[in-house]
Amino acid sequence: MRIAFIDGSPKIKQSTSGILLEDIKSSISQQAECIDITMHKQKLSDIQLEQLKSVDVFVISCPLYVDGIPGHLLSCLGQLEETFKNQLQINVYGIVNCGFYEGQQARYALNILENWCIKTGLIWSGGIGIGGGGGISQMPNGPRVPINKAFQEMGNNIMQKQIQKNQYVSIAFPRFLYKVAAQFGWRQLMKSNGGKPKDLNKQW
Amino acid sequence: MKLIITDIEDFHVQIDGEYKIIKPHAHIQHCIGCFGCWVKTPGKCIIRDGFENTGILMSQSIEMIFVSQCYYGSVSPFVKMVQDRAISYIHPDFVIREGEMHHKRRYQNVITLSAYLYGDKISDAEKETARSLMKANALNYDGKVKNVSFYNSLKELEDIVL
Repeated sequence: MRIAFIDGSPKIKQSTSGILLEDIKSSISQQAECIDITMHKQKLSDIQLEQLKSVDVFVISCPLYVDGIPGHLLSCLGQLEETFKNQLQINVYGIVNCGFYEGQQARYALNILENWCIKTGLIWSGGIGIGGGGGISQMPNGPRVPINKAFQEMGNNIMQKQIQKNQYVSIAFPRFLYKVAAQFGWRQLMKSNGGKPKDLNKQW
Repeated sequence: MKLIITDIEDFHVQIDGEYKIIKPHAHIQHCIGCFGCWVKTPGKCIIRDGFENTGILMSQSIEMIFVSQCYYGSVSPFVKMVQDRAISYIHPDFVIREGEMHHKRRYQNVITLSAYLYGDKISDAEKETARSLMKANALNYDGKVKNVSFYNSLKELEDIVL
């Protein structure tokens, strides 16, 4: 089986979407051939289109942007619909991570991926909405247990090309502490950019 | 003021009152997820391509109106890229609103959202997603939804009044 792991984050390095893709890859049996595809830009190259044509499964990982999927990724999905409409029999799994605590907030982004599959003639096979995404890159394994559990199940489904229901998980970390940690983090970032914490409140 | 964001370059719809239009007059760079609009130039996107001020324009608006092709239940890539580049309208800090985590307000104005979505064969599922998305956007902006409507073609849009 050939699986395309598609990183739909606009970030070229150290994206949470990319980290999560590596995690799900480790949940997949070694019998699969893994192909890494990055969708950081607004258009896919001809080489990428060729690569995507030859796989059995897409695993798309992206961040939640304003309740939906990022605009540049929407553009790539449109290009894929135009290029491959009703030509491919590919199972598509989605992973959407959000900075908010509740994974449930990724539900409409997963709906968009499902609607795209229907329009393009692909097989929507279910997704995972992940809350607390802002902390994943700095977190040890403990708080990531619920995510790893969901990935284990999705990994098994991918290998059998089975359809699953959308699942929603959050990090195993209290919401109020996540909120406090995020607020501390923004102030640190502001200081490291030469500003003061109160500058976060600037109005124009 | 009404802030209209559309993917139609040649936009000739009747608009009542004061308004500003953002349309694809030039190539738009997409959001790169740097959060510079929160921690480097708070309130404004750091990418200087003519689309960096949407967050500020939102703060001066009582209505935000999307006139866009419906893309799988979302607005189109151009309109979404404008929206993605305008998260500086809200503050990075979190609040709990209706039991969920959302962003705190930066400004005090309340925005009313409308979406006029066009496209050939918009499915019922896409319409449902679009309605839900607008409600979710309104909750995130701490605003309201006024109208979400669908049109089979650009021609049908000619009769609307914004």
